[in-house]
Amino acid sequence: MSITQTEPRQADRPGHEPGALEKAKVARDRRTYIALLVPAILGLFVSFVLPLAYMIRMSFNQGAPDGVIVETFTLDTYIQPLTDPFYWRVTLDTFQMGVIVGILCVLVSYPVALFLARTTSKYKGLLIAIAIAPLLTSAVVRTYGWMVILGTNGLVNSSLKGMGIIDTPLKLTNNMTGVTIGLVEIFMPYAILAMISGFGRLSYQLEEAAGSLGANKFKVFTKVTLPLSLPGILTAFLMVFVLSISTFITPRLLGGGSVQVLATEIYDQTTGLLNWPFAAALSVILLVLFGAVIAVYQRITKKIGG
Amino acid sequence: MRFSLRSGIAATAVVTASILGLTACGGGSPAPQGTGAATSGEVNLIAYSGVWQDQYTKAVIEPFKAKYPDIKINFVSKRSSAEMLSALQGQKSNPNTDVAIMDQSVSESGNNQGLFDKVDATAIPNLANVPDKFKNKDGYGPVVMVDAVGLVYDTATFPKAPESWNALWDKQYAGKVNVVAPPSLLGITLTAITSKMQGEDYTKSIDAATARLKELSPNVQTFAPNPDEYQNVITGQTVLGLGQNARGQYYSDQTNKKIGVAFPKEGTAYQINTVNVVKNAPNAAAAKTFANYALSAEAQTAFAKALFYAPSVTNVNLPAEVKSRVVPTDGSLNIIPLDVSFLASVRDKWTDTWKRQIINK
Repeated sequence: MSITQTEPRQADRPGHEPGALEKAKVARDRRTYIALLVPAILGLFVSFVLPLAYMIRMSFNQGAPDGVIVETFTLDTYIQPLTDPFYWRVTLDTFQMGVIVGILCVLVSYPVALFLARTTSKYKGLLIAIAIAPLLTSAVVRTYGWMVILGTNGLVNSSLKGMGIIDTPLKLTNNMTGVTIGLVEIFMPYAILAMISGFGRLSYQLEEAAGSLGANKFKVFTKVTLPLSLPGILTAFLMVFVLSISTFITPRLLGGGSVQVLATEIYDQTTGLLNWPFAAALSVILLVLFGAVIAVYQRITKKIGG
Repeated sequence: MRFSLRSGIAATAVVTASILGLTACGGGSPAPQGTGAATSGEVNLIAYSGVWQDQYTKAVIEPFKAKYPDIKINFVSKRSSAEMLSALQGQKSNPNTDVAIMDQSVSESGNNQGLFDKVDATAIPNLANVPDKFKNKDGYGPVVMVDAVGLVYDTATFPKAPESWNALWDKQYAGKVNVVAPPSLLGITLTAITSKMQGEDYTKSIDAATARLKELSPNVQTFAPNPDEYQNVITGQTVLGLGQNARGQYYSDQTNKKIGVAFPKEGTAYQINTVNVVKNAPNAAAAKTFANYALSAEAQTAFAKALFYAPSVTNVNLPAEVKSRVVPTDGSLNIIPLDVSFLASVRDKWTDTWKRQIINK
């Protein structure tokens, strides 16, 4: 940080051309910015880069039974899952879950987000707060809530039974159906927020103009509103997709051990079998594989969304 | 997601290169080790969470604190013995835990890994009351309480307790059965018992058990009951499942006998907890005072009354109504002897078998 003190003095000396003064000021500003960024960068380094590096190093160790870690440098932890059809199936299921939850979440959140973005009500702020209020409750608690609602004797099954629609309870938990329902609801606030912030180009005037030029409401929606809200939709989908593939609480609690996705596998390997190297390798695979998927997605959406 | 993942990975790679040896396990300097019994200080205890923690605190820790007011107990709770082992491994070079109460199969691993100290009757006089069958043959932490695996059932569905493990396979309970799959010890035990029932030697192969357990799969509502296997039955989500006698008895009282627990006629297996003093424990002397108290007739009786774990010492006389509900350790119950060390060594393999072949998608 001492550099910020020596350089500016030279620049302030009389007789310097204004251009040089300007340059020195820019340099000084830049150094101030960097100095201000240092604590944040250090914080990020300690809390993000270092653990990630630790995890990557761990993934090259060898796991022995009962949590013994053999300090070595092996690729076995990567070769094993990458050559095993079981882990490819788990990866595919993870991807599929992310896509399905992403699509469903966007579908149910879109009308809410659209309403919140367009409303001129004086309670707009309050309405947005209500829409994202579920975030104030932990995902664990909300997942337990869904276990109660979707259980064999839960609200849904007992209502359907009471109305005489079903005789035997539907299996809505301890499978992918339960996990999907839970995740869609849990990630809705994120999708709504992402969409509202991505709806910047939506304009009431454009819709009115389209209407006055003879377009009916459906046409206004498909030709004007939807294309303009596409960036928000795409961002929301990406956000929910990323959150879904990395979450383990809901698949763990609502999946009943039958839903095997990468996050639950990593959890089992870490806390149940204590095979940290293997868990670390699976985490790196999750990071790289889905990092690539996200990169490709962003390329495509840039072209679509502009 | 505006950040560039590629640049993130590149940065990580640089850091990785510089800290490549970060995870090396060092020897660490030994912590001071006390001898004899202490009456002051503190004890960091690692043990099970949930109802176990609540009842152990009430029945053992509170009276211990009353007896030794100058010893403070810090309870670190974990959901499973595996999680405890993981925590102890992480602090091996510089432990901050003194005593661990965990499953015998896991504590054996800990003994083999040098995580625990040997104990003797000089520092822990109550060890003299532990029968040989509950002492560790190499002198490590002894058994502190005994329980057994059983069938937990909904008493409305089963006015008469189920007598056989085969009830789990009964089609009339399709979709109403809970099984705790491996790596849980309950699932490992069921696998070994099924193997025995199929006339197989589980130390050589579990093929027959796997085939039989595959037939069980369609009956199963959940392979990972939440919040636990007992609440699943209590709430009616399932009517039958795996469980342990102690907690089953406790919840039976809590729910006005909505849930019951039974030992099947084919035999069952013990679930045994040991009390272990951590090697290089920061408060070794106080740890031994606590371990000694945990093995006292007073503590063992209180915990048997509170959570129905059978005592592991001989100088306990339980009231008849408690004695009839804890697992018998006098040989009157058909116990299938399981090789816990072997089971610990195949835990990952069996977990894999369950995931790939038994659990339905």
